[in-house]
Amino acid sequence: MTTQPHAFLTIDHGSATVSVALIGRAGGAWRLIGSLAIPAGADLDPAIDLLVERTLAVDPVVAEGLGIVGLPRKDFPILEVRSLRPKRLAIVTGSERTLAGLVETGARSGWRTSGASAETTDPLAMTRLLLDRDVGGIVVGAGDPPRADERGGIRELATLVAAVATRRPEIPIVLSGAMSEALDVFGDVSARPGEVVLGPAARRTTGVDPDAPDPLADLLLELALPADDPRRALATGARTLADVLDRRVEAIMLGHDAAARAVAVPGQGGEASTVRLGVVPSAAVAPDEPDDAVVDGVMAWSTMPADRHRIRDRMRELRIAPWSDAAGDGAALRMAAARAALTRLAGATSHFDDGPVPDLVVAASGVWTSVPAPAVALAHIDVLRRPGASQYALDHARLLGPLGAIPDAGERRALLMDLVDDLLAPLGSVVTPAGLRAGRSVGTVAVHARDGISELELMPGGLELVDLPPGSTAVAEFKFRERVRLGGRGRHFAIDVAGGLGGLMVDLRDVPLRLPDRADRRRDLLAAWQSSLWAGSEG
Amino acid sequence: MTDGLNGHDGDEAGAAPGSLTRAEQGDTERDLGVVRMRRLVEAPIEVSFTLAPGDRALVAPGESVVPGAPIIERVRDTRMSDVVVPPSSEPVPGGRIPDGELLFDWRDRWRVAFGEVTEPLDSPIAGIVKDVRPGIGIVVRATGRGLRAIVTLGGPTRGQLHVASWVEGELRSGSVDVGLAGKILVVGSRIDAETLTRARAMGVRGIIVAGLASKERRDFLASENRQRAALHRLPPFAVLVLEGAVRRPLAGPVMDILEALEGHDVALVADPPMLVFEEPELEVPTPQPDRVRIRAGQLMGREGTWAGLIGQRRFAGGVHLEAGTVRFDDGTLVAVPIGDLERFA
Repeated sequence: MTTQPHAFLTIDHGSATVSVALIGRAGGAWRLIGSLAIPAGADLDPAIDLLVERTLAVDPVVAEGLGIVGLPRKDFPILEVRSLRPKRLAIVTGSERTLAGLVETGARSGWRTSGASAETTDPLAMTRLLLDRDVGGIVVGAGDPPRADERGGIRELATLVAAVATRRPEIPIVLSGAMSEALDVFGDVSARPGEVVLGPAARRTTGVDPDAPDPLADLLLELALPADDPRRALATGARTLADVLDRRVEAIMLGHDAAARAVAVPGQGGEASTVRLGVVPSAAVAPDEPDDAVVDGVMAWSTMPADRHRIRDRMRELRIAPWSDAAGDGAALRMAAARAALTRLAGATSHFDDGPVPDLVVAASGVWTSVPAPAVALAHIDVLRRPGASQYALDHARLLGPLGAIPDAGERRALLMDLVDDLLAPLGSVVTPAGLRAGRSVGTVAVHARDGISELELMPGGLELVDLPPGSTAVAEFKFRERVRLGGRGRHFAIDVAGGLGGLMVDLRDVPLRLPDRADRRRDLLAAWQSSLWAGSEG
Repeated sequence: MTDGLNGHDGDEAGAAPGSLTRAEQGDTERDLGVVRMRRLVEAPIEVSFTLAPGDRALVAPGESVVPGAPIIERVRDTRMSDVVVPPSSEPVPGGRIPDGELLFDWRDRWRVAFGEVTEPLDSPIAGIVKDVRPGIGIVVRATGRGLRAIVTLGGPTRGQLHVASWVEGELRSGSVDVGLAGKILVVGSRIDAETLTRARAMGVRGIIVAGLASKERRDFLASENRQRAALHRLPPFAVLVLEGAVRRPLAGPVMDILEALEGHDVALVADPPMLVFEEPELEVPTPQPDRVRIRAGQLMGREGTWAGLIGQRRFAGGVHLEAGTVRFDDGTLVAVPIGDLERFA
């Protein structure tokens, strides 16, 4: 036994499951040795013992070299992140229009939101809303400059919130936009345990450069989530990954309490890399209250026949015990719930889609733990309908959160450079042309791989799969009969593609996806697409 | 549902007893830790009661409360008015004046929350008041112990616990009569909204059930809201849901506790959702440490003894999950995803 282990543990404490990974230094680089996911609430110690035992059983020499044989659990260095349940943000404004902008910003910044404006709500109801025990933060806002209908009410609204602030001294308060003019109403804010922060107004939703910063969203994210929350760390993880790979990276994390989406662009020409992050509690896989909209969303993607009441009951069960019922119908329900959550996430972060399609999409979520990897890529491309070509990968050991939480940028980058191949399980490449005409064949694709050329007729409306194993690369040469959108517009395209567990997927379905209105036909179609990538999914 | 222990799809219950080697079973005691533990009885517990603006707290921090003691005077149909309050009275937000609760000072007049009709809320538990925050809530540190549930609808309430065997293990509307008034009934795996409504009408104080389907929950809450809209004060009534939304029998160790509490006064509270009992002398049955229950799947509700972790197995739907083995009381051994299992403490 050595006293200095060349290994450490990463632990991602999710709301549904906890993922433990053992990282060790072998052959001069950090490598992923093994990982294990257990239900949240189970003991971690036996899981750690099990990981060490399995390492020892597979390769005792490596285990010895890592210095983990007989190492007491407490001596393992641990890199830990923890998802906490999002807090509620109460938003009050003078006008409905300002309220809509702030609610939209808050809802994608890690908060569950509730709001009221002076236009529609009296001061008593507003006070009741703000004093609710569930509220963990308050935004009181006005436009900047204030709208005519807001100007007269700014000070009264600020006085109401200041009164609440004296009764709830522990919660942070953001004065947004022109509301900052009323800071004096709050008295000596330095004496208050909860911060009173001046923030900008909500960003306009139209006519704004999609890459323009959104300081209010950044401020609310910082107040909502600590730095060791994996959903916040996803941004730094994706950004470092983009730098390491020099590729545009999108990371998507579907969680039990919230979903997160980070789009990172590597630095070019001396400019620093950028990242945009959205954390959307309403896009949780199993929301607190499965209302009609949530149930409808799940039913739209469901491959199992069930009525609304049954789906609602199953969604409640998924909320109560997300670690259980992952086989059989439970697996089908999870896939439908995950697709519905992804739909809500994409809707809340639609402005992220304004730029070019990402080179790499990383799926990072415990919800995919039990699902065959190729089906994960399908779930994403069912929802995110973007003409272009992207590579898909799965953060199977849930490392992106813990690694993204490393505060030192140099250390984080060095570790990710070593681990990038272990961290990402390649799911394959997806090519999605848009603007195809319905009919017989729309063209051909010739895949030039090392072991030969394979050719395929392209039939619109379907999903063509080309076997391309992980680690292999190829050039896919597309010849369409008519001009299509695939990045740019054209007939002929040659695209570099990388292999994966799902190979090359040529997605010739509609953009956006159109599904039959009749539930039975829709289910059959979804099940048919899924069964091509998931043996046994039929039940 | 699962692949059989011999590696083929099949009925778990049909697997031969003892078909795992000792090596496969591993260190069962230690491995049991990867099964999620459900703590049955909690103590100490802090119970919260919501105060809305205008409501009056009848207790102060540090005071002790007993079951039945009024702790809140709730205002129905709260309204707001503007009043002049002399500065000499040192008004503060949340303070009380004869006109009501002070909200905020605007242009030398205070906005005040008040209501003409009030109704008291009696404490369902004994304890010490830990915190009182006007307009927000009261926190009481209970002297008793609590059995955790998923949700409480309605309430809080208090009554004598009654466990009975109903027809087919479920309480039906026709079985509820005034003889059950004042009782809190343990009804088994599920209940419908009609029976809940009738139970309330017959003076039953509460229902404890394993699962409540969403439809029944919605219908019951709609009925509750209609009742509350009436002017007369309603007797307290609560539904404590212990497990979830689908039909599932109550867990054996939970049933053991409820049976031990038969005939005793218990409280049902909403925050946290819990059954609270104040019987310091009562010996709560301790569950066996290796006893596990299957929470989901085709074998949902069955219980047995943990027989060890067996690693990843393929289950129905083509999914691969970490699995453990459970030995039923008849000696049958089955493989179950560890996520579907729970143990008790």
